[in-house]
Amino acid sequence: MDEAAMVNASQGLGVTTVESQEFTNATLESADSKPVAQVSKFRKTYGRTVAVDGIDLEIQRGEIYGLIGPDGAGKSSLMKAVAGVLTYDSGTLDVFGVRVDSEQSSEAIKDRIGLMPQGLGLNLYADLSIEENVDFFGQIRLIPKGVLQERKDRLLGMTRLDKFRDRPMKNLSGGMKQKLGLVCCLVHHPQLVILDEPTTGVDPVSRRDFWSILAQLLREEQITALVSTAYMDEATRFHHAALLFDGKVLARGEPDEIAALVPGRIVQAKAEPQAKAFALVKETFPQSEAVGPWLRVFVDDADDEQATTAVTSSMEEFRPQEIHVAEPDLEDVFIALLRRRGLTDDDHSASLVGNADSVSDGDGLAIEANNLVRAFGSFKAVDGVSFEVKPGEIFGLLGANGAGKTTVIKMLTGLLPPTAGTGRVAGADMRRAGQAIKERIGYMSQAFSLYQDLTVVENIRLYAGIYGLSRRMTRDRTDWIIDMAGLAGRGSDLSGSLPMGLRQRLAIGCALVHSPQVLFLDEPTSGVDPIGRRRLWDIIFDLSRNSGVAVMVTTHYMSESEHCDHIAMMYAGRVFADASPSELKTSLREESGQLLEVTTDKPLAALDVLQSGGFDGVSLFGKRIHLLAPDPSKAEQQVRAALGKKDVGVLSVSEQPLTMEDVFVNRVLALEKADEGKQ
Amino acid sequence: MNVHRVAATASKEWREIVRDRLFLALTFLVPTSLMLVVGYGLSLDVEDIPLAIVDRDGTNLSREYAHRFIDSRYFDFKGYALDRHALPLLLADNKVRAAIIIPENFQKELMAGRPIVVQTLIDGTLPSRAQTTKGYVLAMNTAFTSEMLAMFISKKRGIPLGQAARSLRPVKFEARYLYNQSMRSDWALAPRLIMVILMMTPPFYTALGIVREKERGSIYNIYSSTVSRFEFLVGKLIPYVGISSANAVILWLIATQLFGAPFKGSLLFFIPATLLYIICTTGLGLVVSVMVRTQVAAMVVTFIVTVIPSMLYSGVIVPISSLSETAQVTAHALPAMYYTNIIVGAFMKGVGLRELWPDVLVLAIYATVLLTLGYRMFHKRPST
Repeated sequence: MDEAAMVNASQGLGVTTVESQEFTNATLESADSKPVAQVSKFRKTYGRTVAVDGIDLEIQRGEIYGLIGPDGAGKSSLMKAVAGVLTYDSGTLDVFGVRVDSEQSSEAIKDRIGLMPQGLGLNLYADLSIEENVDFFGQIRLIPKGVLQERKDRLLGMTRLDKFRDRPMKNLSGGMKQKLGLVCCLVHHPQLVILDEPTTGVDPVSRRDFWSILAQLLREEQITALVSTAYMDEATRFHHAALLFDGKVLARGEPDEIAALVPGRIVQAKAEPQAKAFALVKETFPQSEAVGPWLRVFVDDADDEQATTAVTSSMEEFRPQEIHVAEPDLEDVFIALLRRRGLTDDDHSASLVGNADSVSDGDGLAIEANNLVRAFGSFKAVDGVSFEVKPGEIFGLLGANGAGKTTVIKMLTGLLPPTAGTGRVAGADMRRAGQAIKERIGYMSQAFSLYQDLTVVENIRLYAGIYGLSRRMTRDRTDWIIDMAGLAGRGSDLSGSLPMGLRQRLAIGCALVHSPQVLFLDEPTSGVDPIGRRRLWDIIFDLSRNSGVAVMVTTHYMSESEHCDHIAMMYAGRVFADASPSELKTSLREESGQLLEVTTDKPLAALDVLQSGGFDGVSLFGKRIHLLAPDPSKAEQQVRAALGKKDVGVLSVSEQPLTMEDVFVNRVLALEKADEGKQ
Repeated sequence: MNVHRVAATASKEWREIVRDRLFLALTFLVPTSLMLVVGYGLSLDVEDIPLAIVDRDGTNLSREYAHRFIDSRYFDFKGYALDRHALPLLLADNKVRAAIIIPENFQKELMAGRPIVVQTLIDGTLPSRAQTTKGYVLAMNTAFTSEMLAMFISKKRGIPLGQAARSLRPVKFEARYLYNQSMRSDWALAPRLIMVILMMTPPFYTALGIVREKERGSIYNIYSSTVSRFEFLVGKLIPYVGISSANAVILWLIATQLFGAPFKGSLLFFIPATLLYIICTTGLGLVVSVMVRTQVAAMVVTFIVTVIPSMLYSGVIVPISSLSETAQVTAHALPAMYYTNIIVGAFMKGVGLRELWPDVLVLAIYATVLLTLGYRMFHKRPST
């Protein structure tokens, strides 16, 4: 049976709508049964490219409706059309009961909508201050002066931007720009806000902050929201969501329902040697990946016991030392859905043998940073950073925007001389041998590393030429890269015409053309779909394990940081933690406690109670609330007692494993608090 | 139309312009420096032509002939050359642009009443300059010849020299240059430059201002709000029309004060006519900006549609009447020519609306058409 149809059926039968009904009532006194927006058989093309291909959606009053999907899935086109700022080819679109099908009719809805287009702060005016930006948005909506002042004060206070009223927008951090964007599109009190990827390019702390502000605002202002995201793990923030892929809806419904579409289990197993065990597991289970020391395997249609047995037997003689079973998350489901429908791109598995000449001499460290300092005037962007990366290790550098990650990478790649401190990269001193470093490392950034107007082969040859490879070497490496990236038969395609995932694989190939010993990847997976991301991590894993390449990577996807052997977390120019992901999680658990997930019948009321009840790390995820508790059973009693007093019905309280995002957010928030204390 | 929304848009735009120091500086520096550089640099007057003379006669008369040229302000005498073989080198090195060779027996032959040939070598690389040089040489030679003739007649007939000279020229030529008595080309050029600069710069500002919003994505604030297309465009254009008007004042001051061009007309006519022209060229920028997506494209297209018509088809360099027939049609189809008529009329002829109303009318039609076109093509719900 078709999965999407299944969800529709379950919605139709009203199986799980009790909670959402409850939620809607809590949000809005005058609950209106008519949907805010209704989209049917919607289709949009740009020339010959089909962006959206027959989508049906219904957005109910008071909910946060999520569009989840990778770049190019059709999210933006759909959202712009709903906002009445883009034409479409066919289908129908009704917003507030108005048929939006012409420039004239679309004007009729614009007093009730707020749109925040894609791109961090791009719709704001760089040279205007926070206050002037808000004023402009208020004035063009003809809000009376007094009312505007009042709303502005309230919104800026809520987003904690009021201290920076006079600061020009261009001098704001990513998180602040995003909050200002939200304020600007809410200032006229719209009934529907349309937020296109509001959290892309923003660090996890600001992201979590943004979601809690959005939830609070929507509740207080009684607004409906249509929000898109490329981060699968944000799906829990939505009441309803649609998974989009290639202009079509893969699945839709409540996040739980979507997750339940593909029955199965995730098995995590540790086995030595990992690379060999992984190769065996992959033969039986196509949807498996190596994450740090773990192998993570999706087992279809199995219960805990069946899944464990199946994975163990697939490993043959490499018996797992440790094995866990978990529920699949949405990203697993997304991939499983695509796999089951045969939508995963070619199953050409990357074979990576042949990069052997890059296996380093084995002596010493690949990257070594000792007390690196970089000052810009009196401001220290990097302040005494030290870490070590061994050959064959995957090292992650995490930090909020402006924490100093980019400056560290620039110093290590020889682009920027350090103010103080020493460092060696691939055996070369970074103070003196900047050129030698550039010859020994590979570097790939998300922003600009391929020439889109050159073909695949031309791009590879260009990089080979830059690194001065001989003609024979160039030919060998070209074959190797095409094979590695799964680009067979596409050698003469323009690289700009490749899908994002393939393009990134080509880019990583170009960075590897001269067989470097150290590889720098700056947000390599930004905007890449989940399948493309996994393929990329497969390549990274293989490079590190089989070719001994040291890989240094930055990412905003916290779930990806689990792939790293060890992680340095940065805050305000310093490294405050350097350990493996599991060590980081263990130490957070020891310090702050276990993660408790509370589900109630009135999530928003419950959030208020728990936030004022002295619990740590309280955060709303859709209808669930997360909090940290040193003593879970005692905390559960306290939670039930506190909620009982306020007449909130507790549906469940359960312990959940901590994620890297929990680690990062809680650590950084603690540091921020300490900073504020000092001031 | 709601005045508050227009005001909000205009004041936002104005603040952005003022805060962007580089853009602000350029909006004022570019017109001023164009005026100064081109005004001083593009003098069409031909004076001080470097000259060498070969005097193979070396008599009183040959020296007198040579001094006609040496003393003229049109020539810059570089010295006598020893013989004609030295001349090609001097000309090739650009040391001189013209050379005069006075042959042997110059005095003797003339005194004997026989004609003699004086050869002139002129650098022909720039035809217009060569033509002018030839004209100067010819005029001086004619004057010298007729004086010689007068002297000869007065001696032969025994009549006074003055009478002899008059009898030689029964029809006397007399010319008075109207509007620009001293024929100074900078007087003529400065007002026309105002036309060129006000053709080029306002479309640039406008196109960049609108396309910048498109390129960044802030245009979606307008698309998704209740601001009407008309309100947005009016609010958006006001600051740019204001800046261009301020520039017009600066350019007018440079033309009249620095270049000393006379302004004989009425400001009461000239100011509104100039404003109309600015609105017209701003409208051109609007049309460009709705057609392109990027600032680079906006700049290239604006350059093509403004610079070429304003330089070639406006009568600045070549008079419209001297253009080929098709070029004349083109010139009449573009607004530059009409404002040239207005600006030349107002500066040099002192005429006003009574004489120039057809030109004003054409500009008004232009402005209306361009603004309407821009408005029609601008959509709040585009297809891409």
